[in-house]
Amino acid sequence: MELYDRYAALSYAVAMRVLGDPGRAEDVVQEAFLKIWTNAAGFDPKKGSLRTWLITAVRNRSIDYLRGRSAHERQELELQPELASTSIHSDPWHEVSLELERMAVREAVGSLPAEQRQAVQLAYFGGYSQSEIADMTHVPISTVKGRMRLALEKLSSYLLGRGLYPTDSEASP
Amino acid sequence: MSDHEELESTVAAWVLDALDADEAASIRVHVDGCATCQQTVARLRRAAASLPLEVEEISPPARLRERIYVAAAAARMSTVPSAPARKRVVPARGRWKPAAYISFGRLPALLAAASVVLALLIGLAAGNAIGRNSVPPVAAQVARYHLVGHGTLAGAKGTVINLKVEGVALVDFSGLPPLAKGKVYQLWLITPGGHPDSAAVFVPDSNGGKVVLVGLPLNGYSQMAVTTEDAPDGSPTPSQQPELYGPLA
Repeated sequence: MELYDRYAALSYAVAMRVLGDPGRAEDVVQEAFLKIWTNAAGFDPKKGSLRTWLITAVRNRSIDYLRGRSAHERQELELQPELASTSIHSDPWHEVSLELERMAVREAVGSLPAEQRQAVQLAYFGGYSQSEIADMTHVPISTVKGRMRLALEKLSSYLLGRGLYPTDSEASP
Repeated sequence: MSDHEELESTVAAWVLDALDADEAASIRVHVDGCATCQQTVARLRRAAASLPLEVEEISPPARLRERIYVAAAAARMSTVPSAPARKRVVPARGRWKPAAYISFGRLPALLAAASVVLALLIGLAAGNAIGRNSVPPVAAQVARYHLVGHGTLAGAKGTVINLKVEGVALVDFSGLPPLAKGKVYQLWLITPGGHPDSAAVFVPDSNGGKVVLVGLPLNGYSQMAVTTEDAPDGSPTPSQQPELYGPLA
């Protein structure tokens, strides 16, 4: 219940952002929550948080829908260290820290040059390949690659600078 | 540009899943053997994983909770052997009896029960996920039965998921025809003696589907049936013979 209450709105929002279809978004969110349950035995909390796992599953399955491919064709992204620790227990600070994180991410994304922001958003939420983005934006693929790299590096630096996730050395097992 | 430089320049696109299969395979092989690129990938993936937080949250429809609940229950019972088939008992015409006691005030209790059971299920999932609990034994905890439509409800069906331990059941209906104005569907539990107890009143969605929570144990009942009754509260006793029903065994 807590897990659903905490992340259903974010999961649904991500699915809606990608799919723009309430029915399909519901399907994807349902799949993701069920996946947590049915694959619980294979979940390693050392590798990342439930939130990251859940939202990654929602995003990936949504993109699969868009691209018309089945889930088994995708090798799931590995769980990554969490931006902030996540507990399913009641934690009065959780909402505060999550909100701070949201604000930081929005600030960080908003601070990106428009063409870099567009490149990562088209890829992440639109499911477009770098060559498709190159065609859409009328620039060489190498430019798209560069924009993606710069955008993610800046985002990383911004969030790291605010202490929102560990450094590489801290993230290592 | 060296091979490393060339591939490293593509790492961000790979992290964002923006490469075709061949390119992705090439860079995966490279990253597997390149410590520098592994660090870069880890860093960029953390950044990419933050992107969803940019999205404004949207509350999903309330029915999604019900859907997940039913699907979770179904998944949970997938490891449980089906209830042994027994001779089917169809309610005979004229066996309806006035109920001595019929509760029509169950909806709040049902919703509360739904929350409790959902909490159990999702809590179980999360608990398992973080390694706090082991999966509890499920044998004989869950059973599934089927309701079959006849007559005007020939296209309808229902799947009953009986969560025995929790003392509740879910019925996942599909193919229900739209109701006439001023009508509702009413779910009945029928004792072996033919006595019907009202279990729920509901209206299906536009697709003819509905998940109904029955907030009481099915012990002591032999059948489940659906009739069409007057809105909003249904009827104290069935006003017609059911056209959607099935045995609870």
